[in-house]
Amino acid sequence: MTETGHATTHDAAHDLRVKAYFTVFIALSIFTAVSFIANEAVRQGWINLYTSVTIILAVAVVKAVLVGLIFMHLNFDWGRVYFIIVPIFILGVMMMMVLMPDIIIAWQPSQYPLEPPVSTTGTR
Amino acid sequence: MTPIVSDNPQKHMGMPLPTPKVAMWLFLVTEIMFFTALIGTYIVLRHGTPAQSPHKWPTPHQVHLIEWIGALNTFVLICSSFTVVLAHHAAVKADMKKATLYVALTLGLGAVFLGVKAYEYNSKFQHDILPGHIGESLPYPDKALPSPDKEKNLLAIEREKHEHATGMQYFHRVQLQLEAIKNSSIDAELQKECNALLDEMTSAAAAEGQPAAFHRPPSPAEVGQRVNEILEKAEKKGVALYLTPAIPFGNLWASCYFALTGFHALHVFGGIVVFAIILLMAMIGRFGPQHATMLEIVGLYWHFVDIVWIFLFPLLYLV
Repeated sequence: MTETGHATTHDAAHDLRVKAYFTVFIALSIFTAVSFIANEAVRQGWINLYTSVTIILAVAVVKAVLVGLIFMHLNFDWGRVYFIIVPIFILGVMMMMVLMPDIIIAWQPSQYPLEPPVSTTGTR
Repeated sequence: MTPIVSDNPQKHMGMPLPTPKVAMWLFLVTEIMFFTALIGTYIVLRHGTPAQSPHKWPTPHQVHLIEWIGALNTFVLICSSFTVVLAHHAAVKADMKKATLYVALTLGLGAVFLGVKAYEYNSKFQHDILPGHIGESLPYPDKALPSPDKEKNLLAIEREKHEHATGMQYFHRVQLQLEAIKNSSIDAELQKECNALLDEMTSAAAAEGQPAAFHRPPSPAEVGQRVNEILEKAEKKGVALYLTPAIPFGNLWASCYFALTGFHALHVFGGIVVFAIILLMAMIGRFGPQHATMLEIVGLYWHFVDIVWIFLFPLLYLV
């Protein structure tokens, strides 16, 4: 390939990247609006809370994946850094699993209300 | 002359990535662990609150969080992520003028984010929604309406007694605030209500010269309810009233909110400092195409800060 031809291919690749960045930027903006609308939809009674929470959290995950893949270049670098990233996610999930029994399962004051104190002085 | 550089570079140990990039990824995984711990603890604490009780985790409205402001800040960070990739792209193409412009834009957007956050923090301070300040208890509906189940009523009373012990601090805080309101000039109707509550709290309801009848001061839960009613009226009238609200689980919410957003804001500030250094380098003419990798690495950090906010926004403002 000639030098000019190489430069043209290189420029075209750069332009494609800028297009990808711009597309992701638009997608992220739209997704932010989607989360906001899903939240408002619960208030208006159009959808139920669980549907809204599912939409909002799914949108957050998709947004994070888009930023990671395109903006952080993980679509190129994933094969080189996955072994650093994957164990951290496993440890993160494990940490939450360790915290859960202590708080979510053990502490439910409404389900297990305080018992009336047992009188130690007897009845009068 | 024989070329010194071989066309077939020797295999070497290490990753096929620039060393600074590997270092940044290693730093980022420690950051992922840090924020996973914070966000995970928030989720666990939040889901640990009773789901069946009338007193649940605070709603955004109760704690004066405005959803559209959170959405605006999300958009600001998304824009800054876009400008930082454009800065890197321009640096790769050796267009340093454009790269500097995009870095300046990113810095500006980061500053806007912190400005909006400062506005939100100011609102929290004005409404006294701060860790350890908020009244946690409110009267339980099952106690207010006598239930045919006597045991249930007894349990509700015992529960309020338990909360009374921790509520006295709130009681005294509100008493001091009401005394300050008594000496100030605000809306006459609101002042009358505040004074009436203060009188009840200080047992000064009996008229002068008459024997003081037995007067039970209101419980912290009752004070909380009255304060919330006064605050609601003040909000409708547009009057700023310095009274601490009563919000069940409010202190836990405030601790989580300030820990999560505070550490995130510190990270944003860190990024702004780095962008300011890059701009300084550009001003003295020491910012060139050789800094493209540095810009990519700073960008990695900035995108990570963006990703953290992508999760904080729905968890704090929406869900």
